[in-house]
Amino acid sequence: MTCDATAAFTGAAVEAVREASRQGRLATREDVLAAMEAEGVFLSPVGLEAEAQAAPPEGRDALLAAVLATAPDIIAFQGLSGQTVYHAPDLLSRTYARILDRKGSPLLLMAEEIRANSRDYPRPVPVELFGAPPFGLAPEEIEQALRGMAASPDYQDITFTTAHTGAVYLFSTRHLEQSYAAFLAQRAESLVMNP
Amino acid sequence: MQRERYPEWISLAADAAGMEASLSRRGFLMLSACAASSLTALGLCEALGAGSPLVILDNAKGLILADPSRCVGCQRCELACTEFNDGRAQPSLSRIKISRAMNFGPEGPTGGPAMQGTWGTGLVVQSVCRQCPHPVPCATACPEDAIQADPKTGARVVNAKRCVGCRLCQRACPWDMISFDEESQKASKCFLCNGKPKCVEACPSGALRYVPWRDITREGRPNAATLTALSAAKAKACVECHVPSGRKSTRR
Amino acid sequence: MTITAGGFAGKVLRVDLSTGKISTLDTREKYGAMLGGTGLGYQVLWEEVPAGTGPFDVANKLIFATGALAGTSVPCSGRTAITTIFPSCWPKALVGSGHMGGQFAAKLKYAGYDAIIVEGKAERPVWLFIRDGRVELRDAAFLWGSGIHRTTLEISQEMGADCAVAAIGQAGEKLAPLATVVNSLSHSAGGVGGVMGSKNLKAIGVQGSGGLRIAGNKEQWERLVKFHLSILGANNQHVVPSFPTPESEYYNPGSRWVGEPGKRWGAARPPVEITGSIHDMSRIAYRTNSAAFFLGEQAWKHTVRGNGCTSCPIRCHTTLKVPAMATKYGLDEVAQGTCIALNFGRFFFPTLPGGPKGEAALEACMIGMNMADDMGIWSNYGQLQRDFIKLSRDGVFQAKLGSAEYAAIPWDKWRAGDPAFLLDIIPRIGERRGELGQVLSEGSGGLFGHWGISEEAWGADHATTYWKMGHPKHHANEDDGQCGVIINTQYNRDAQCHSHTNFVRNGLPVHEQKRLAGELWGSPDSVDAPGHYTRMNKYKAQRAKWALIRKELHDCLGLCNWMGPWVASPLKERGYRGDNSLESRFFSLATGMDLDREELDAAGERVFTLHRALTIRDMETVDMRAQHDHVPRWVYEDPKGAQPFTPGTIRMDRDDISRAMDMFYEVMGWDKSTGAPTREAYARLGLVDVGAALQAKNLLPEDKP
Repeated sequence: MTCDATAAFTGAAVEAVREASRQGRLATREDVLAAMEAEGVFLSPVGLEAEAQAAPPEGRDALLAAVLATAPDIIAFQGLSGQTVYHAPDLLSRTYARILDRKGSPLLLMAEEIRANSRDYPRPVPVELFGAPPFGLAPEEIEQALRGMAASPDYQDITFTTAHTGAVYLFSTRHLEQSYAAFLAQRAESLVMNP
Repeated sequence: MQRERYPEWISLAADAAGMEASLSRRGFLMLSACAASSLTALGLCEALGAGSPLVILDNAKGLILADPSRCVGCQRCELACTEFNDGRAQPSLSRIKISRAMNFGPEGPTGGPAMQGTWGTGLVVQSVCRQCPHPVPCATACPEDAIQADPKTGARVVNAKRCVGCRLCQRACPWDMISFDEESQKASKCFLCNGKPKCVEACPSGALRYVPWRDITREGRPNAATLTALSAAKAKACVECHVPSGRKSTRR
Repeated sequence: MTITAGGFAGKVLRVDLSTGKISTLDTREKYGAMLGGTGLGYQVLWEEVPAGTGPFDVANKLIFATGALAGTSVPCSGRTAITTIFPSCWPKALVGSGHMGGQFAAKLKYAGYDAIIVEGKAERPVWLFIRDGRVELRDAAFLWGSGIHRTTLEISQEMGADCAVAAIGQAGEKLAPLATVVNSLSHSAGGVGGVMGSKNLKAIGVQGSGGLRIAGNKEQWERLVKFHLSILGANNQHVVPSFPTPESEYYNPGSRWVGEPGKRWGAARPPVEITGSIHDMSRIAYRTNSAAFFLGEQAWKHTVRGNGCTSCPIRCHTTLKVPAMATKYGLDEVAQGTCIALNFGRFFFPTLPGGPKGEAALEACMIGMNMADDMGIWSNYGQLQRDFIKLSRDGVFQAKLGSAEYAAIPWDKWRAGDPAFLLDIIPRIGERRGELGQVLSEGSGGLFGHWGISEEAWGADHATTYWKMGHPKHHANEDDGQCGVIINTQYNRDAQCHSHTNFVRNGLPVHEQKRLAGELWGSPDSVDAPGHYTRMNKYKAQRAKWALIRKELHDCLGLCNWMGPWVASPLKERGYRGDNSLESRFFSLATGMDLDREELDAAGERVFTLHRALTIRDMETVDMRAQHDHVPRWVYEDPKGAQPFTPGTIRMDRDDISRAMDMFYEVMGWDKSTGAPTREAYARLGLVDVGAALQAKNLLPEDKP
């Protein structure tokens, strides 16, 4: 394709990712191509050469993958589904993108969030966090996920501490030791009594 | 003489508005009330007689709409109005008014269960300039024609060069919205900040919006004892259009 | 009506209640070097109130002072400091300040005054009428005995709905050391109400039509104001929301930024839903909901709106409507408050049915806000309630109160966690009724003085969080290790400093905080992760100095130290940086006095040092280290026996704290052995006369034998 055509293609592709991010969604290449098609990118004479227009879907997909891989303000990562997903971090943060990606699997959703919090802040997280948006897990789902983690060798690092208020906080022993996690949970619970 | 061109202009205007070619002055004024301000800019008002007092006929294009249920009583609107326009932090000069009803509501410190404001229900009722339609009380009261319609926004604006500080506009406003700058001895009022009101921008709760104008003068009680003292020339101008129904205007 | 050049209103009002004489002084001429606020207050005390003056002596003065930035649209600029010989300071009353927000500061400025010096004592109750240049003392017989709500209503009827009224309630009238001055419904200055009562001054009503000229270019001013707004977080400058959001990389469940889109002010009519971007400038007022933070999700349905100080977009006071208050308790359905005052009622109960975020807790808080701010009772940062619980549990009430008094108190309600208990105990304390009311309203000092309770015992009990001199800790080692400890040693009441805690609780991950700390205070080691403290280093001393000086500076400028300094921000594109020079940039533009950060901080240091000088003078000892800068025993212990500097404890080490004080005195330029400013330190800060006066009394460290 010509430079202009590539630029137009790239622009439309990036905008499709950004629009999805704006709406709080991750985008697969399929999503992007569908959006571009809906916008008429492949119909109007935007300078796409005939072969690009007539290219089979796999060709378009390869082109799109190449273009998005180098787009400066777009992040790509391997989603849970196995597909590559894209988002614009200024509209949809990395943290939130990962949460969205894992929504289909409560166990992974919780485990990875617990690990990230233990690693990055570091801190344990209250179990209530997962009942609230954007996690939105029902109590049974949370319970099931916790049982699953306890039973699985891959999640032996996930454990909990109970604060003096009875609140349960979850953390990963990869990044936080028990006594410190207990302290932090206690501290978090005590903030409302320490204005 | 401009007056000789009057029938031509009226005819042009009438054609543009799809009205009859021949118009009485009264008809012209009716037309003008709905017309774009460009008609006024053409000086047609003045065409009706050199030295005729200014009568604002056109409506404003925009209005600041205030939602009391969102007002948090921070007064940032009042401060933006005066600081960013006048370089002074002076809520008493502000052209949007919050302080007066912030504590006790529009009825004042009455006590009782219906009292609003911080000490009552919590509701803060803001006061905004209604950018009144014809007859514009403040402009009508001004003996110097110092309150004029801004060409861009239609806001009723005090022309400080013409204002002589007589305060008749203050007495005329039913909602006591005219500020008076004691330092410069000039009246001042909301002029919609050239279409980008600073109070709207400053509000941290989105309680203020800048919307297309509509007549809100029948909503919310007037809260000031008013006196509209008309100059004789203005009164004469009023009577020229406001003739008994069926009678022709005293003007051509 | 006055419009003055540059920030300051220009005049200080002096009111002599003994003679009725009212006069004015030029602010900058007389007090310019001390800027205003607490600085102005300390200067008046230094020059006019002799050492040894008691808080309720006629010779004591009460200085209401705001600052150059109050009354402008600088965000978070509605503060007034009230400086005096502080009644609850034990065993000897020393210089201290209460602080209040609301509309009083701005109104005072528009009336043409930066401060009011109240002196003497009126023969009969009076109130002070201020309308621009017209200042009068009016008879307050009709108000004496009334609460603050009615006082404000009746003064407003007399002055006009737009006046600001600062008043005392029954507690202040009865000279309770734990009495407040309250303005704008819920904005209370702790500890100073009794001084006002002792002078027979019921209230000050202020109305002003004047203005403050911004000396600098108004477009530049507008840009700076908008910049400040753009780096604001939520309450306490928490820069990270409490909820995961597409708009932020970080979140913190413990953050005060609780206004998640989708939540709503449920008691607004119709309810107001939070929508849009959390960074939108027209949504700042929705970020904070103190009631929801302290009382949980239930608070949202009762939230009418946010409220707060003039010019502040944060609205950290929450206006709540709870219909049960009328039906169950005969009180107003609507109440308002934040922080400790919001918790006044709840903190009396060790347990409540439904827990700390249940309905009983909500009702207890509503009763507390309503009654405490009407009677004008101070909680001493919650120490009143903690003392109450400990005294109950230790059987002290049973021992000390007469049997009739003890029997009259509905203890069963207290044990059951029934909020109705407060309907008895709050007026008991506010009206100083009986032995309990009389003693508890003195503060912890009352317990030590009247009931023979030892201060040591209080300092050994981890639950009291007692610190020293009759007051509790206020963001000490539990928040900020050695930095917090240092800060808590420096005042004659609880420290009231939030510069440090706003930063460490801002919600950013520790690695981001350390990165910013490196830029701000010289090393990432100036900040530790909470409860993961490392040994003292000079950078922590620098940070402690910065925290204290900025707090004084804010108290001199009318700025809110519960929000500032603004050194971190929510903005990823700024690397979460705020602006450490914001105060000086605003000050320079407002006043036309071009001071950079160092220069303005030097003024703050001057003010802080004068506070030190006053303390030294009035304690009649130069040995601050041993006599004043105390750290209670519980700081050096851990209930589980954990060692200092291990993860999971706030326990400090005595030698390390000793080194911390060494380093702090060093970074202040003070003498290490006494913790007292040297002659050079006073001179460097333009306080040569102060140094000379102290020298004459042998209160310079150089003169110690």
